[in-house]
Amino acid sequence: MRFFRVKKLFKAMAVGVCGILAAGIIAGCGSDSSSEGVNNGVLKVGVTNFADTLEPTQNFFGWVVMRYGLGECLTKFDAKMNIQPWLAESWSISDDHLTWTFKIREGVKFSNGNPLTAEGVKASIERAFAKNNRAATFFEYESITAEGQNLIIRTKKPLPNMPGYLADPLFIIVDTKAEAEGRDFSKEGPICTGPYMVKSFVKEKSVMERNPNYWDGEVPFETVEIPSIDDPNTRAMSLQSGEVDVAVNIAAGDIDLFKNNDRFDLDEISSLRVVVARINQKGLLGDAKVRAAFIQGCDRETYNNVLLKGTFLPGSAPIPPSLDYGFDQLKDPNSYNPDNAKKLLDEAGWKDTDGDGIRDKDGRPLRVEFIVYNGRAELPLYAEAVQADMKKIGIDVVIKNVDYNLLDQIGIKGEYDLLISNITTANTGDPEIFLNWYWRTNVNGDNPQNGSGYSNPELDAVFARLATEFDKEQRRQLIIQAQQIIMNDGAALFLGYPVTNIISSKALKGVHMFPSDYYWITHEIAPAK
Amino acid sequence: MLVTVIGVSFLTFCLTYLAPGDPALMLLEAGDTIVSQETIEKTRKEMGLDKPFLVQYGNWVAGAVQGDMGMSYSAKKPVTEKLAEGFAGTLLLAGVTVVLILLISIPLGIFSAVHQNKLADYLVRIFSFIGVSMPSFWIGLILLYIFGLKLGLFPIASASVTAKGIVLPAVTLAIYQSAKYTRQVRTVILEELHQDYVTGARARGLSEGTILWKHVLPNAVLPLITLLGMSVGWLLGGVAVIEMVFSWPGIGNMAVRAITMRDYPLIEGFVLWISIVYMLINFAVDISYSYLDPKLRKGVRA
Repeated sequence: MRFFRVKKLFKAMAVGVCGILAAGIIAGCGSDSSSEGVNNGVLKVGVTNFADTLEPTQNFFGWVVMRYGLGECLTKFDAKMNIQPWLAESWSISDDHLTWTFKIREGVKFSNGNPLTAEGVKASIERAFAKNNRAATFFEYESITAEGQNLIIRTKKPLPNMPGYLADPLFIIVDTKAEAEGRDFSKEGPICTGPYMVKSFVKEKSVMERNPNYWDGEVPFETVEIPSIDDPNTRAMSLQSGEVDVAVNIAAGDIDLFKNNDRFDLDEISSLRVVVARINQKGLLGDAKVRAAFIQGCDRETYNNVLLKGTFLPGSAPIPPSLDYGFDQLKDPNSYNPDNAKKLLDEAGWKDTDGDGIRDKDGRPLRVEFIVYNGRAELPLYAEAVQADMKKIGIDVVIKNVDYNLLDQIGIKGEYDLLISNITTANTGDPEIFLNWYWRTNVNGDNPQNGSGYSNPELDAVFARLATEFDKEQRRQLIIQAQQIIMNDGAALFLGYPVTNIISSKALKGVHMFPSDYYWITHEIAPAK
Repeated sequence: MLVTVIGVSFLTFCLTYLAPGDPALMLLEAGDTIVSQETIEKTRKEMGLDKPFLVQYGNWVAGAVQGDMGMSYSAKKPVTEKLAEGFAGTLLLAGVTVVLILLISIPLGIFSAVHQNKLADYLVRIFSFIGVSMPSFWIGLILLYIFGLKLGLFPIASASVTAKGIVLPAVTLAIYQSAKYTRQVRTVILEELHQDYVTGARARGLSEGTILWKHVLPNAVLPLITLLGMSVGWLLGGVAVIEMVFSWPGIGNMAVRAITMRDYPLIEGFVLWISIVYMLINFAVDISYSYLDPKLRKGVRA
């Protein structure tokens, strides 16, 4: 009986712990599995939310306002990134290409019942300019005026892509009258025109409710609950358990759980992004043959389909296939061909004379520096795959890992042989800015992002025409032409295009992923019945 | 105490200032869009980032003294409000976890010390060893898989502070922490059991139970409280990994994001919070010493 009291205490504790667990289990039994929820007017969507408030002009929070089905713009992008009318019914441009007229849709009301007028739209756009410096990076206006239901924007320079700029969530139309009457958008949420409106919002969870004044047909759900589930494994599990009905961006490792599954629908699309390695022409890769050999040695099919399990599409052109810019008609002169790559290197005079497996010329090894950052999981993977492939053809690739914050300056100063980035090509629906930024000739620092020394007068001529071309089809042809020149010159190594996905329970219909990534919850998502 | 707070805040300011990266750039390019140099300069100016380092620090101190911790860059909200948002979740999780740790580790530690080198002791040690070695996010995912997905007993991602939602994160943290703590309890108790006064007490014929409860435990409590204080401090700093796996709203995740976004005011606010928490806990531990240990109490009086 020496330890009698200890044993008794231990037993008591054990009973206590069991008791707590049991209580938890009993309490837990009420947990609901919710395809009934969908039919009872409640939609649950698992997302990752980065926004601290729902004020559309703060940082990039407008993206969330639009994704949650609250806010709408004058225009929107369709599944091919073509611009479609939204709160603006139609638009036109004057003959001098400086005055845009947008006809604001009749009969639209804000969620508080106030009617949408051109005057209100003007106030909302001016508000965006006053509150966020980013607005001026899209366009600068000379004047905005309202005439009846027409909104007239005059610009100093011709801006062919104005309707695309106004589709950016920064220009979500809000009711500035409500703000003037005392509503604090960043605390209580904005008043917009979307199918849902804010009931409650904290960063971790938002609850939306039906906008009774919605203009575009019936709103299917009474309530939409949107928990932010940041861990991808947890997000997949809550979708499997039925805790959420829709989840956005399920990770590569989990996606097979939902593919060809009779409980779920999967919608995948390549986004607007491209993973590109910029190539510096001031170093060893300045030799066109070495550059071509480098690109031809990279087995991009395998990187994307095998290493990244199909979460990326194989790259070849600057602009991903989700955009309608001739991806299929472009010819890649540097598609995977390791034998030809070796031949090119021989021709360029690089031979392995000392037998160490790395080619050399005039006593100098063929060694290049590949700069990557760790912020995105796929980037180091790509770099290592390229390194392994290059070894096979006798090029030594040294991978250097840097902090994301340094990337911008490295790019501007041109302190690299290859520099990776994962970048949006056309968040306004038009890739002109992106193409210009990296490949237009940099004369005395007038195009700082092109730090690679790449310059082609033929391409510059295409860019010059693009800057003033307003015809949509002409623009498309010019952009295709520009891409082909970039590819022919081997100006960069296009590694792949990320695929985004949205997965939904079969109890729902109308769930789609758009390339622009702005539209998640729409009024088209409804019970399948 | 004041010196510590100033030192900590100054060091943090220096480190964030020296770290590469520009908050203005992080804000403007968060959506991977391309922004012109003028816009960046303009934004820097508005945020006061163009001023010299000491002026920036001076401004911050001047505000903080008056209770104004500034505005978070990334959230565009007052820092105090941002900290308060995650506070309830963190406090509750820390509280429940500490109770679980005590309930699990003290009985197990004593049990295993008393049965030293017997089968029970080995079992406890093996389990605590496994518990310490497993990464906590992994335990968390396993628990979620079993109790959330397969058995459906607990919500997987409640994303809010609820009674049901706290069970799994608290148990996950408790498994890891109590595995560590059990070993510490065992060591401390064993140490005490080998002291001369225990031999003396046995010689006087006191029962083992009396020796353990009346003599050993009171002596073992002091070092254990210090260790527990450390755990509590750690928990109150928020455990980002656990918060992320369980979608639990707390301040750990917020702090990690503040660092990646170079959100100086928010980092400062968080660090200040942590240093105050640690100081208060140390203070509380010291006070409990003098309360629990008559020797110290007398020392104070003398």
